[in-house]
Amino acid sequence: MTTKDFDVIILGGGITGAGTQRDCAMRGLRTLLIERSDIATGATGRNHGLLHSGARYAVNDAESAEECIRENMILRKIASHCIDETDGLFITLPEDDLAYQQTFVEACRKAGINAEIIDPKLAVRLDPAVNPALTGAVRVPDGSVDPFRLCAANMLDAKLHDGQVRLHTEVTGFIREGDTILGVRTRNLQTGETEEFRAPVTVNACGIWGHHIASLAGVNIGMYPAKGALLVFSHRVNQMVINRCRKPSNADILVPGDTVCIIGTTSTHIPFEECDNVAVTPDEVNLLITEGSKLAPSLSSTRILRAYAGVRPLVSADDDPTGRNISRGIVCLDHEKRDGLKGFITITGGKLMTYRLMAEMATDVVCRKLNVNKTCETAHTPLPGSEERSYEQVARRIWEKPSMAQKAAASRMGTSVSRIGKLDRYDNALVCECEEVSVGEVNDAIERMEVSSLTDLRRRTRIGMGTCQGEFCACRAAGLLAKARNCVEKERSDLADFLQERWKGNFPIGWGDTLREAEYTQWIYKHVLGL
Amino acid sequence: MRFDTVIIGGGLAGLVSGISLQQAGQQTAIISTGQNALHFFSGSFESMQEVPKRTLDLFAGAGIRVHYSPGVRLTPLGTFREAALSLEDTSLFPTPRFADKILIVSFAGYLDFFTSFLAEGLEKQGMSCRICVLNLPELEKLEQGPSEVRSVQIARTMDRIWEKVVQEIRALLRDEDTVILPQVFGLQDISVPGRIRQGVPARVVFAGTMPPSVPGIRTQMLLKQRLRVLGGTYLMGDEATRANIVDGKVHSIVTRNLGSHCLEADNFILATGSYFSKGLKTNPFSIFEPVFGLDVEYDEDRNRWYDPAFANDQPYMNYGVRTDAALHGLHKGKPIGNLFVAGSILGNTRPDLGSGAGLAIRSAQVAVDQILSL
Repeated sequence: MTTKDFDVIILGGGITGAGTQRDCAMRGLRTLLIERSDIATGATGRNHGLLHSGARYAVNDAESAEECIRENMILRKIASHCIDETDGLFITLPEDDLAYQQTFVEACRKAGINAEIIDPKLAVRLDPAVNPALTGAVRVPDGSVDPFRLCAANMLDAKLHDGQVRLHTEVTGFIREGDTILGVRTRNLQTGETEEFRAPVTVNACGIWGHHIASLAGVNIGMYPAKGALLVFSHRVNQMVINRCRKPSNADILVPGDTVCIIGTTSTHIPFEECDNVAVTPDEVNLLITEGSKLAPSLSSTRILRAYAGVRPLVSADDDPTGRNISRGIVCLDHEKRDGLKGFITITGGKLMTYRLMAEMATDVVCRKLNVNKTCETAHTPLPGSEERSYEQVARRIWEKPSMAQKAAASRMGTSVSRIGKLDRYDNALVCECEEVSVGEVNDAIERMEVSSLTDLRRRTRIGMGTCQGEFCACRAAGLLAKARNCVEKERSDLADFLQERWKGNFPIGWGDTLREAEYTQWIYKHVLGL
Repeated sequence: MRFDTVIIGGGLAGLVSGISLQQAGQQTAIISTGQNALHFFSGSFESMQEVPKRTLDLFAGAGIRVHYSPGVRLTPLGTFREAALSLEDTSLFPTPRFADKILIVSFAGYLDFFTSFLAEGLEKQGMSCRICVLNLPELEKLEQGPSEVRSVQIARTMDRIWEKVVQEIRALLRDEDTVILPQVFGLQDISVPGRIRQGVPARVVFAGTMPPSVPGIRTQMLLKQRLRVLGGTYLMGDEATRANIVDGKVHSIVTRNLGSHCLEADNFILATGSYFSKGLKTNPFSIFEPVFGLDVEYDEDRNRWYDPAFANDQPYMNYGVRTDAALHGLHKGKPIGNLFVAGSILGNTRPDLGSGAGLAIRSAQVAVDQILSL
C-alpha cells in the first residue's frame, strides 16, 4: 500500500527531477516523483551526451563554464559507470580565426578548465578521425555521459532511499488552498486511474514542459523552447570529443558515446505546441552532415543510424531569435518569493552537466521550507553502479573469464552487474546482438527499473539502439516482456509502437544502409512475422 | 569466360531462371553475393494464387516438396496471412480455426520462437493452447559455443536428434489434437519434417521463427544443387561491378573476384534484388541501379520516398528498374536488347507479375521465354 502523503513531490522524470528526488531522499525526505511519460524522454535523452568541460561556454558565459568544470569533476567520481573519460579537442580549421584560440584558452584557464594548446599533428595522432586540415588544437577534459543510464541510476538510488516513482502519470491540476499548493491531482495515462497526492512542497522540474505546469499552478515562467537536432552515426568514428574552436554555432560538436558517435546541434525557436513532437527536417540533416564532416571528414561516408531532436528548456531574457545568447545558467524559482505562491518551486534552465547542482539548489530550498537541516551529500556519494571505477575489475570478480558481452554489461551497469551475474545459464543469452544486451540484463531492468514498454526498456538497456535498430531484438525482448507481465495482447501493440518509434528517427535519413535495414525490417515484420 | 546466359543474382529469380535455361540446353552462370531474400523466406510463396505446371515441375525436379492449398498460413506472431503455394512443411489451413487443442513446443534458451504470441493469437481464434519447453542437453553445448542459439544452429543439431524430440513430444502429449513446433527441422535432411509427422500421434504444424529461415536456406540449397546437377555454374561470394555495353547490347560484365576475366554471354538476366540485396542503391539524392545504370522509377523528392507511419505501404518499396513489356532493362529510355530484369528489383513497376516470390518466379519465366525464343 502506498501512502499518498509525502514531504515533497517532484514533477518531471528527466535528469533534473531524478537528481532532485535522489538528493531529497538522501536527506531523509519522503519523496514522490511523477512523470507523464518515461524517464529521460525530454531534453535529458535528446542531446549529445556530452560531459562538458565547460570550455564551450568559457568565452561567453563564464558562470556556466565554472559550473560545468566543477560538476564534470564530481560526475567522474559519483557516476563513473555512466561516463567515458575521452577528453576533447577544440580544433581550428583554415576558415576559422586562429587568434580566437588564445582568447579561448585564457577564458578556459580563468574558469579553471585545464586547456592545453597542442600541436595539430599530435591532435591527429590522438584522434585519427579529426580533420587533418586543422591549423590549431586545444585539449580539454571533455568526455561523454550516457544520460539514460545517469537518469536511471538517480531514480534507482532514490528508490533505495524509499522514494516512490509514478511513471506514465500526468498532472491534471494542483490542490490549492488560498495561496498555497498542497499537492497534485494526477491521471495514469495507461490505466486512466486518477489520484491525489499531497505534500507541503512541490518541485517543478519538467524542463520545457515546466512552462505548462507553472501555468497550471497559476504562475508564469517566460520559457523559450529552442529545438536542437542531432544525428547518430553507426559506429564510433572519433575517440575524443571534437569541437570547433570558435564562437558556438551549429553542428560543431562530435561526441563519441558507447558504440556510436553523435553530431549536433542546431538551434531553432519553436512554438510550445510543437514540443511534444519535434521532427528533424531535411535541411537540418544536410547542415549536420556538411558541418560535421568538417570536424571528421569520414562522417560524410559513415552510415547514419538516426536523426532526433530535443527542446532546450531555456528561460528567456531577451528576444534573441536563435536562443544561443540566452544563458544556459540555472534558474531556481521560489514562487513564494517571486509570485506569492507557497509550496511551489521551479528548477529549470541549466543543462545535463549541471543537473546535480540544480538538484542541490532545489533541495536546499525544499529543506529550508520544511525546516530540515541536512547537508547535501550527492557530490561525494557514488550512484548505484559507480562504487568502483573499473568495470573490467568488476566483471572479472563476477566471472572468472568475462565474455565480451559480460564486459559490455559491466560497462553499462557498473557494480550493479553483480545482480545479473550468478543466474542460470539462459540469462547469458543475448537479446540484442548489436549492443550485447543479455536476457539477464533485460529481466533485471524489467524487474527493478519500472519498465512498461519496449521503448522504456531501450532507455534502460540500449536494446534497439544499435545498427539493426531493433529489427531482431525488439521481437525477442517483446517475448520476455510478454512473459514477465503475462500480457501478450499489450505486447503486440507495444512492438508496433516500438517499430514506429524507431522508424520516426530513420526515415529522415532514409538512404544507403539505413534504407536497406528499414526495408528488411518492414518486410520481415509485415510479410514474415505477420505483425 | 563465355556462357549462353549470365545471371546476376542468386536468389529465387536467379535460380529459377538458371535452372530453366539449363534444362533447355543453355550454359548458364549465376553470380551470387550469397545473401538473398530466401534467407528470410516465410515458407509460403507470396502472390502465387495460380501455379503453372512448369513451376511445380521445376520444384519437383529440385526435390523441393510443395503443396498447393489456398488458405491461410500461421505467422510466427500468431496471426494469419493468406497463401496458396507453400513448402510441404509450412501448413496452410482453410480457416484460422484449424484445431481444438494445441501443444506448442519450444526449447529452453531459444529466444527466436515466440510461443506466447502464438498461444495468444490461437486462443483468440478459439483454440486452447499449452506451451511446453524442452530442456535438451544437446542444446546446452550450443549455448557454450561462440555464437548465439539461433534457428540455424538449432536446426543443425535437430538433424541429428529429431527422433529424441519426437519421443519427448509423445511423452508430453495429453489430449491435444495438434502440436506446433518451430521450423528448425530438415535443414540438411529434407525427410525429417515428414518423419516427425509420422512419429507424432497428432497433427504437426511447423511455425516460422525469427530469420534466418531454415526452410528458406534449405530451398536455396536444393535449387543450387539442381542447377549444378544440370551443369550450371554458381559463382558464390562474387558480385558484378560493371558492364561493358557495345552498340546497345551487353557484351560482358566485370566481377569483383574475376578481375580482368570478363563474363561474356549472349544474354544477361539482372536479378539482384531490391535495396537489402543492393540491387537498388540509394544516396540522399537518388535511387540507382549500380551495375548497368538502368533507369529507375522513383520520386525525385526524397521526402516522398517514405510514409511516416511504419505500418503503411512505403512508396520506396514500389520503386524499381524500368523495363519494356518483354522485361528488357531500359537505359536512358532505350531497351538493352539482351538484358532482362527479374525479381524484386522491379519493385512494383510490374504489378501484373505480382510481388515477392510470385514476382520472382513469374518474371524469371518471362525472361527465360524471351531468351529461348530468340
